[in-house]
Amino acid sequence: MEKIIYSILSVKRNPEKLNALLVGMKGISGSDLCAVSFDEITAVVSDINRTNLIADRSNAIEYAGVIENLAQQFTVLPMRYGSIMESTGSIIKMLERNYHEFQQNLQKVENKREFGLKIFCDSEKLQAELRAKSETHTTTPAKHAPEIKNSVYRDWVNKKLKEHRLEELLLTYVDSVIVKITGYLDRLNAVNKFKKMATATNIIDAVFLLDKERKDALIQAVEILQNQYPGLNFVLTGPWPPYNFVEINIK
Amino acid sequence: MSENKILFNTGSLDELSEEIGKLTNNEESKLKLGPDNADSGLAKLVLTLVELIRKLIEKQAMRRVDGGSLTEDEIERLGETLMKLELKMEELKKHFNLNDRDLNINLGPLGDLM
Amino acid sequence: MHNNVIDRSKDITILELLDRVLNKGVILSGDIVISVADVDLVYVGVKLMLSSVETMEQLRSGKSVIV
Repeated sequence: MEKIIYSILSVKRNPEKLNALLVGMKGISGSDLCAVSFDEITAVVSDINRTNLIADRSNAIEYAGVIENLAQQFTVLPMRYGSIMESTGSIIKMLERNYHEFQQNLQKVENKREFGLKIFCDSEKLQAELRAKSETHTTTPAKHAPEIKNSVYRDWVNKKLKEHRLEELLLTYVDSVIVKITGYLDRLNAVNKFKKMATATNIIDAVFLLDKERKDALIQAVEILQNQYPGLNFVLTGPWPPYNFVEINIK
Repeated sequence: MSENKILFNTGSLDELSEEIGKLTNNEESKLKLGPDNADSGLAKLVLTLVELIRKLIEKQAMRRVDGGSLTEDEIERLGETLMKLELKMEELKKHFNLNDRDLNINLGPLGDLM
Repeated sequence: MHNNVIDRSKDITILELLDRVLNKGVILSGDIVISVADVDLVYVGVKLMLSSVETMEQLRSGKSVIV
């Protein structure tokens, strides 16, 4: 029977606790959950029939719900939706082959949770502000003005140059916000990943990994940051299982 | 999973759900090659790569212009070439019925091309 | 009005959740080699899903936006 894997975790100290938890939970489409272990590493799985797996969002949400419940009591490595293997035997072999990588990754995320911070802006307004600021500084065009040819090509270059400078300004601004944020995060001892300009209005898409006890300190820090940047819209979510902080290439 | 995981937000959520929806739903930006659409699928793939390179060149050119190391003649010629490239690209996009979103193929773990 | 805000928050929570469970997390993977007529042509060193690319495609098509 094929198995779908929800999470990898370590239960060396209390396998009974995991079993008790699994009895009270259901997997996708009401299936029973069970633990498959190799030494100290355990995979939480349920039976699945690949051809019957209805691929819809409610299944994905159920799947994530199982991971969430496990993560509330254990340090877990969440699997991506749809991780299916042929049999219990193949899972045990997989756990054995990747044993050290799992151990290392579990250590890295032990007692930590992931938080997401998305920062949105009204990009047109922000660009206008940045442009206004920069124009007080830029004097170069005037100096060269007499030599500049007046052609459609030169006009085109000027237009592109303006866009380019604006983009650079925006990036510099985004970088400065990131520096501010990392200042606070360093104090919380957080690991972080930033993605700049995810979309035109989502200027920063960040994820942090930090001790779960520091959740309130993080909320406070974000509140302070929001007050410093009234033009931006901060959205903090979490705590999540460490989806963005598992880097394993399973063999 | 009905728990609310938003820990902090003071702004409007309406615009956000739209934005996050865009981030989550990449369906339109996926490359689908099949017997029925081999032409447009291939055009999409080729034009995406061409567009990527064109934009890189343009960006680099603007860096050089901004750096001030180019002569007016060089800038003029660069402008002419790049502008013609851009116009040609617009023509091709129109011809194959593709828009800018089509030319940003989602590569999954590699992220967007552009 | 108040309920509306709560609904929105839930929507965003679910979207964030889906983004994670579909795009992040541990992947059962292998590097892929694209072959044409049995000749290995392109080596893609990308971690792609082995078992459920189809599943993902279906999941993502159409139905996946709630807002």
